[in-house]
Amino acid sequence: MTGRALLLERTTGPLYGLLLAAAVWILLRGHNAPGGGFIGGLVAVAGTAAYAMVFGATPAQRRVPLGPIPLALLGAALALLSGLPALALGRPYLTHLWWNLPLGFAELPLSTVLLFDIGVFLAVWGTLAGYVLALLRGGEMDRGGAP
Amino acid sequence: MSATAAHAPGWGSRFLWVALLPLAGFAGLVWGLLHHPLPWRGAWTWVPSLGVELAVHVDGLSAQFLALITGIGALVCVYASGYLAHEPRRGRLFLILLAFMAAMIGAVSADHLLIVFVFWELTSLTSFLLVGFHHEDEAARNAARQALLVTLSGGLALLAAILLLGDIAGSYSLQALIAQKQALAADPRLPAALILLLTGCFTKSAQFPFHFWLPNAMTAPTPVSAYLHSATLVKLGIYLMARLDPVFNDLWLWERALVGVGAFTAVWGAVLALRERDLKRILAGSTISALGTLTLLIGLPNPGASLAAVAFLFAHALYKAPLFMVVGNIDHATGTRSIDRLMGLWRAMPWTAAVAMLAGLSMAGLPLSFGFVAKDLITVAKEDAELLDAIGYATLFVNATAVAVAAVAAVRVFGGPPEWPGERIHEAPWRMILPPLLLALIGIEFEFLPDLADPLLAAATQAMALELGAVDVQASYVFGTVLTATEITLLIGLGLFLVWDRLYRALHFTRWLDRFGPTAGYRFLLESLPRVAAWQTRALQHGRLAGYLRATLAGLLLLAVGAGLATGLNPAEDWARRLQDWARDGGDWPAQSGAWLTAAVLMLAGAAASVAVRDRMALLMTSGLVGYGSAVLFLFAGAPDLAFTQFAVETALVVVAAAVLPRFGPPPALAADEPYWRNALLAAASGVGILVLLLGMLALPPDTTLADWFGATSLPQAYGHNVVNVIIVDFRALDTLGEITVVVFSLLAALPLLGGLLRARREAAP
Repeated sequence: MTGRALLLERTTGPLYGLLLAAAVWILLRGHNAPGGGFIGGLVAVAGTAAYAMVFGATPAQRRVPLGPIPLALLGAALALLSGLPALALGRPYLTHLWWNLPLGFAELPLSTVLLFDIGVFLAVWGTLAGYVLALLRGGEMDRGGAP
Repeated sequence: MSATAAHAPGWGSRFLWVALLPLAGFAGLVWGLLHHPLPWRGAWTWVPSLGVELAVHVDGLSAQFLALITGIGALVCVYASGYLAHEPRRGRLFLILLAFMAAMIGAVSADHLLIVFVFWELTSLTSFLLVGFHHEDEAARNAARQALLVTLSGGLALLAAILLLGDIAGSYSLQALIAQKQALAADPRLPAALILLLTGCFTKSAQFPFHFWLPNAMTAPTPVSAYLHSATLVKLGIYLMARLDPVFNDLWLWERALVGVGAFTAVWGAVLALRERDLKRILAGSTISALGTLTLLIGLPNPGASLAAVAFLFAHALYKAPLFMVVGNIDHATGTRSIDRLMGLWRAMPWTAAVAMLAGLSMAGLPLSFGFVAKDLITVAKEDAELLDAIGYATLFVNATAVAVAAVAAVRVFGGPPEWPGERIHEAPWRMILPPLLLALIGIEFEFLPDLADPLLAAATQAMALELGAVDVQASYVFGTVLTATEITLLIGLGLFLVWDRLYRALHFTRWLDRFGPTAGYRFLLESLPRVAAWQTRALQHGRLAGYLRATLAGLLLLAVGAGLATGLNPAEDWARRLQDWARDGGDWPAQSGAWLTAAVLMLAGAAASVAVRDRMALLMTSGLVGYGSAVLFLFAGAPDLAFTQFAVETALVVVAAAVLPRFGPPPALAADEPYWRNALLAAASGVGILVLLLGMLALPPDTTLADWFGATSLPQAYGHNVVNVIIVDFRALDTLGEITVVVFSLLAALPLLGGLLRARREAAP
């Protein structure tokens, strides 16, 4: 970026955290209200792209947990694994199982569906972040190095 | 060549023990034949939803093939452990050889046609690996690829035939097919199925015009040629034809195709043998010739021909495999296979010479050999069948050539003065002598083992000619009935042998045929493939974004017009009625029409501005407006989830594009020869096309079956209120899994490409 946008630099850090929190919230509420892993992943990607726009690709990549490719692979693996418990119970692959964890004051509904949706979330975030950062890095290389 | 004791590989590393596996199979087969009457059956469910079961049906024909596969397989393993003693990668060869063996066993014992097909293709794949074993050699690679392409193309035809036959008969079981002979014959689709089936069998069994891969496959190591290209692989097509012969044998097409193609292949294979100087390729030519004879015999309708086919199949395997091994021994010892350089080897290689002599006797069909019995049966069968005279003369020529080839392999290279220039020549080690010697001895003595030979031949014949109650093999041939024919054949063959070199020069003229023959056709196809691919890439992947967009829009327009024409959608009538209703009643506005109108205005404004603005950042914002507008529409149309997704997609797209776009220089200007109006016209036309299609869809009564079902089952079955999410993560979770996997792998594939592109750009930059 030519010149510095101070206001942008000061707000982007908190905005990134906010977007990620929103993404996770969207992911978790998705089963019963509008949302889900795919939309959450998109929101997270928007956060990564915004961060990269202001601070550059390499700092943004450091902010993606594990890095884009391992994150995406982990996502696909989680989705893949979420279907296995059903096999152990003799049901068809990807038959989802539910388990309500009693917490005393409330019950926490856990399920392989949630695991699957987290996998979708991570796969979308990791993959699209990988694309965005690679493209951005290419643009930076055109200008002869990091901004 | 012989290994010194110091570095001779041990028992384990020579892989001699591998021979125990097929040997155990052979022993099991013999034990089974002695204790359990044929046929043996068994079935295990495999894919019940598709009706595929692992059904096994072993009758006489299968048993004959199993005996060849396991028996010759064991001997080939022994031979290979000697032949490959100094080959560092021999472990790999043995592994593939065993895999091939297993595939062959599966192919000849399966009863379900689809299972037969799977094993059939496995034999093609493993033989590709075996022929291309010396993959450093370009000729080996080309030969392997050629064999693979030819046999796999035939395999596809076979698959089509199997699906057709299964559809006609209502069952994929071979035995059921044989039982439903009448119903099959009446079906109009049968000729198509037959042609496809025969294409598959002809490619596998090297029938003209698909024969050319076989001589080229001689680049394979000798044990592979002896096993695959004489005894097993190339006989698989013969097996399937023989197996289905009872179903089709009264059909005109079946008989004509088999007799015609078989006779021509037999003659052409003999000519090919006469045209070669490489001993192994000479044998390959005579193998093609023998395969043609087998096809011809299967095509003949009389049961005598079936018996002759079965006997000749056995005899051929028993003399051709040892002859290939003899060539391997010679090659091993002298380093050449050219008959111009080989002579007088008998003193240096007496055992190999003896094997060649024994196998040659049977190949020439001399009395007292099993080959003689087979030739005898063939002559009788042909006399019974009242064939054309031309085919009679052709057979004479084919048999005479077989005699000449046998003489070349057994007499020419071993006889004469023992002068081999240069280094000393060793006899091959016992591992390379014993297997061919055993095979050749069995080939001579087989008819003297009536207890073993007759039941096997009779059972195999019965499998081909069901109407026969019992086959008396002994009574079918009488020693000496056709001795005159044998004498004539031998005399002509001897003549051919004597003028072999002169004939070779005389046949030189046939080489101009090669420019138009099947080999040339194959080469043309192979060379055209990259040319077509390059042309297609140039036409489609030109790298101009505007061009891609044009193609996409034109495709969309075509789809819209096509869909409209195909379904006969006519929105005009419906919408005229709606307008009339509206004009009469004043119409009532839908709820929240204010929000609808706002969204529509937003989208229209965004679209209009997108056309007007030139700056890319501004364009990004205005086109984003269209996306947000449609999200608002979704929101008020009762699809909050869709709206949410649309918002998220639009936001991510705008942010990502805003981050990436400025880093990639100014946009390329529209080329001068690209008229502006043409793009505008295409865009407008595709827009109108989609509009008309949408209006037409609205005019149809909506089908809510799926929506109702998902709406009703989402909560009780998947415990989720959000139907869209439940569909994504539960009802259609497998689809989602596939999609995210593809997305992740697209990144893995794209990153190196992007990296290369960027590197190239950086290097191009000053």
